[in-house]
Amino acid sequence: MPNFRYRYILASIAAISLILLSSKASFAAAAEENYKFYCSQCHGLEGKGDGPNATKSQPVDPRDHTSAAEMNKLTDEDIINSIADGGAATSKSTLMPPFSETLTRQEIAALKDYVRKLCRCKGK
Amino acid sequence: MIRTASLALTLFIVSIFLPGSTFAGGPEGKKIFEAKKCGACHQVEGPAKEKTIQDQLAKKGPELWYAGSKFKKGFLEAWLADPKPIRPLEYNSITKKNDGSHPKLSGKEALDAAAYLMTLKSSAVKDGAVQPKDTPKGRAIFIKRQACYGCHEVKVRGNAAGGLSGPSFVGVAMRLNPDWIYAYLTNPKVFKPVKDMPDYVGILTYSEMRDLAAYAATLN
Repeated sequence: MPNFRYRYILASIAAISLILLSSKASFAAAAEENYKFYCSQCHGLEGKGDGPNATKSQPVDPRDHTSAAEMNKLTDEDIINSIADGGAATSKSTLMPPFSETLTRQEIAALKDYVRKLCRCKGK
Repeated sequence: MIRTASLALTLFIVSIFLPGSTFAGGPEGKKIFEAKKCGACHQVEGPAKEKTIQDQLAKKGPELWYAGSKFKKGFLEAWLADPKPIRPLEYNSITKKNDGSHPKLSGKEALDAAAYLMTLKSSAVKDGAVQPKDTPKGRAIFIKRQACYGCHEVKVRGNAAGGLSGPSFVGVAMRLNPDWIYAYLTNPKVFKPVKDMPDYVGILTYSEMRDLAAYAATLN
């Protein structure tokens, strides 16, 4: 009986770990997919600020998400607010559009995590 | 009875030659569309089916099932005979330049295909909703508040300026139906449930979207 209970606990831990791992994997893929679909138009596929909308005629350059020096100036909340409400939310250029009606809060938070991975920085 | 029948016949014959008539070239245009296999890249039956980003990325070309509500007939006729890139980049790409290799139709084929495409309408587009108008409000939204030129190329003092990821706004006045622009802003999911442009419902008011559509419709 104790042996059975031990096996049961082990199996439960394994099952919960699998569920957590798989949900985290799909979470990461969704953020990358969203980044490449929405953000890369301006910020580039690798986040270097060199997307096709970063033309010479634009008044400002898109932020380089791989620059820790630049990205460390922003808090996590700044990043989330910029994605949701556009550049105006953080007194930046309105060339950064608002995605609050396009992406869910969870997707926006996941994008913030993805951007933090690109800069390998934690911010203010 | 005979008089009514002859009047109906006369009206039918006249309607064939009226500009914008769906009789002129519509069935012929559909045949051309099918013979040229345009449907391999362009969806002509609604409603929109995409649910995910992958669904959108799987599409090879813009959907045309509401082409008659979106485009101006004269534009379609000219463009099909002499297609020039509307999008600076290939459809669904942010890295490949649009090389302008869209198939070209002969003059008669272009007229017929345009007549067919003009029969493809969406009930979500209400006629007479918007008149093209350059107003300070519409201009301010386009240039300052939402900076639409960030993704859509425009002409500034004769030179192309702005972003390249969206369709160019150079020549919108000749190309797009203002009522469709308004419908696309106010009801985007009907036309493109998954798109890389943000939704503005809930961000702009309906009045602001009308001003924006009216302004965009003036762009040459």
